[in-house]
Amino acid sequence: MKRFFASDFFYDFVRSPVALLSFLIVLFLVLSAVFASVIAPTNPFDAASLNLMNGFTPPMEPNPFTGDVFWMGTDDQGRDLFSAILYGLRISLFVGAMAVALAAVMGVLLGLIAGYMGGWLDNLIMRFADIQMTFPSILVAMLIFGVARGILPPELRDEMAITVLIVSIGLSEWVPFARTVRGSTMVEKEKEYIAAARLIGLNRWQIMMRHILPNVLNPVLVIATITLALAIIAEATLSFLGVGAPRTEPSLGTLIRVGQDFLFSGEWWILLFPACTLLALALSVNLFGDWLRDKLNPRLK
Amino acid sequence: MLQPLLEIKNICVEFKTRGGALKAVDDLSIDVQQGEILGLVGESGAGKSMMGAAILGLIDPPGRLSSGEIWFKGQRIDQNPEPFRGCEISMIFQDPLVSLNPLKKIGDQLVETILRHKRMSRAQAIDRACRGLIEVGIDPERLNAYPHTFSGGMRQRVVIALALASEPSLIIADEPTTALDVSVQAQILKLLKKLCDSRGTSIILITHDMGVISETTDRVGVLYAGRLAEIGITDHVLRSAKHPYTQGLVASTPKIDPDSFGRSLYQIPGSMPKLDAIPTGCAFHPRCTMRTNKCSQERPPMMKDTAACWLLEEME
Amino acid sequence: MSFITAKNLVRRFDLSDPWIVRKLTFRPKKFLTAVNDVSFSVEKGTTYALVGESGSGKSTIAKMAVGLLTPSAGTITLDNHNLNDPNLSPQRQRLMRRRIQMVFQSPYASLNPRWRVGDILKEPIQSFDLIQGTKNQAKRVEELLEQVGLSPSDAKKYPHEFSGGQRQRISIARALSSQPDVIICDEPTSALDVSVQAQVLNLLKSLQKEFSLTYLFITHDLAVVSSVANRIGVLNKGALVEEASPEELFTNPKQDYTRMLLNAAPKML
Repeated sequence: MKRFFASDFFYDFVRSPVALLSFLIVLFLVLSAVFASVIAPTNPFDAASLNLMNGFTPPMEPNPFTGDVFWMGTDDQGRDLFSAILYGLRISLFVGAMAVALAAVMGVLLGLIAGYMGGWLDNLIMRFADIQMTFPSILVAMLIFGVARGILPPELRDEMAITVLIVSIGLSEWVPFARTVRGSTMVEKEKEYIAAARLIGLNRWQIMMRHILPNVLNPVLVIATITLALAIIAEATLSFLGVGAPRTEPSLGTLIRVGQDFLFSGEWWILLFPACTLLALALSVNLFGDWLRDKLNPRLK
Repeated sequence: MLQPLLEIKNICVEFKTRGGALKAVDDLSIDVQQGEILGLVGESGAGKSMMGAAILGLIDPPGRLSSGEIWFKGQRIDQNPEPFRGCEISMIFQDPLVSLNPLKKIGDQLVETILRHKRMSRAQAIDRACRGLIEVGIDPERLNAYPHTFSGGMRQRVVIALALASEPSLIIADEPTTALDVSVQAQILKLLKKLCDSRGTSIILITHDMGVISETTDRVGVLYAGRLAEIGITDHVLRSAKHPYTQGLVASTPKIDPDSFGRSLYQIPGSMPKLDAIPTGCAFHPRCTMRTNKCSQERPPMMKDTAACWLLEEME
Repeated sequence: MSFITAKNLVRRFDLSDPWIVRKLTFRPKKFLTAVNDVSFSVEKGTTYALVGESGSGKSTIAKMAVGLLTPSAGTITLDNHNLNDPNLSPQRQRLMRRRIQMVFQSPYASLNPRWRVGDILKEPIQSFDLIQGTKNQAKRVEELLEQVGLSPSDAKKYPHEFSGGQRQRISIARALSSQPDVIICDEPTSALDVSVQAQVLNLLKSLQKEFSLTYLFITHDLAVVSSVANRIGVLNKGALVEEASPEELFTNPKQDYTRMLLNAAPKML
């Protein structure tokens, strides 16, 4: 830990306002999402606590019927928007992070195999990646989402919605991981320490996992950060289109979809606050990812 | 004595880092005479390549020439090296591909260089380019060939022709033969020597190879940790080195000599210090077998214009 | 008695275009013969040097000797066992491979940058199951480090904390940790400074005496060869053109190519 604080990486980080600010915003949003149940004044999922009389309360104004005041106002069902955003953030971040984890594990493994084995296996994996890349990832995600919904029995649909969301976004984002890891693997496998490992009789799997993997992970961290921003937006897009998180477990995208219905009737806050949160989150994750890329791997530019 | 072609006076090259300024070249003075081949020899980290870059003003930030003067033909050039770079002074690098544009025919590259420095018609320039290629031993019919069609040694010849195109008075050759096979290396060195004789061009030959120094150079400067350890006529330095580092370097170089077959080589203990941990006093003293107390405290000056070592003082 | 023997060794590389391109352009397959009918034998406890310029096939021979490449034809035998015997079980083959290890050219690429030195040295011990128990293994690692002139506390460090010469020592220690009979040295000092080169060459010599190791020494540097080799083979374009003891080769070379190499080598005084 001490070594980390003394490193050039940390030194540059503290001296880059963009990196520092974006990291702090991400940290702040992540912490508020994690501690949502502590911070939020109400539980937006608890239908019993909702008072329909509180519906459409503007921000920072007492409700004409109940006299309750809400920081960011309420939606049509009288749900506190501030609490809903905190819980929505939690779902958005969770889906984004899990989807990236899935994409990273899958991409890294396939990239390692393609890069190390070469030959027809490499061709198969990379051509499949090429084909997938010709479709916008949001379309791929929608396709997977639709197929999964079709397979699942109706009673499980809402329960599995989040899992399906994670899998469909994860499967649509693995390609950049695989491409990068394949490239670095092809460089690493020619190095002499790999030859040395072969000489002591390690098998391919051991060489890939023990020797190559630790040396190709640096760019993965960078791609993961940038993909996180993409995944969060993908989740919001799917939810906005109504194929993502259900209304009972609203993510930021769901909240935006709900808010959009009321934009023209004057209840602007229902749309504005979730949208600003999403913007802040995606933008700062992206900016931080860009900075990481410049620092850790200038070649990826 | 004639005025030297190039005079380097007390130059320092510093690199700014978080831990303070590191001196890659530390208070180094050296002259180059008209028409001589001066060798700069040293191990990695000795600052020999930095010297070449300093003369041409090619040190990239965070490094900079922090003090000292460089005089070329009676003009001070360290403040304003651009007019001389590539014209009066040219450079040959280890990797010939650095100096060649892969997308242009070598003839065009030569003609361009000639026209940039000399006022003449294109036809005259082409004629010059042909003669340049003949001089370095390349068939002038290959004027229209691209760099990738040449072998490594041939490419280095093209680079030499390119370096000569502006008719420089000084060529800085930084490890020009390190990437080449011995047989090709011998040809290239011979060529450089011939050109030096026929044109009166001076060459600074930067290398780590004592054999190359011995076969090619007139005088040699031995660098250690950014400082000049010893300088003199090549034969004298190699036969009777004054500085213990030079002695060690000569002794540890394997020689093709029936008496030494299978014998252990002399070895200098330890390794070159890193720039952030250069010892006080003489930079070589921790590895020196003849060190005294003085060596660890005071940095030795250049004694009698030959070596920077306190041992020479005692001999007086 | 010869310990490691290469007989009529051939290695061809297939440089052909992909099948579809070949069929469309009607071009035949292209082959490069990197090693052509090379035979030599090395006696136990001696150093045999293969000298050649780039493209002479010397590294290809080294790779075939350790099993990183299989010969296209011919055999390599160790102690009268064929290394590429197809009848041998993979397990037996692995055990035989243990006896031939390698020291590589690049001090930077030959050590895994993410591993501690101790783990690098321990890996062969564990892979070949040479020593049981973590404590005994750690002790063996310390012993290895001392044998190559490093300190036991270096086991905790990472490769980037060492200089080029020290890394080459680690590389040698890793080769030793498999307890080999033969070490293939592929240009082990060509990336090192002269003063460090002498240290490494001397270390290799003293280890040879201590463990009666057999070396196959691959290099382009005739001066290095003259100080280490008991016997020298000169390679040119994949073929062995001359073989002699250093005394013979340097005083009375028989082939034009050898003479040319000797003349070209930069000499000191």
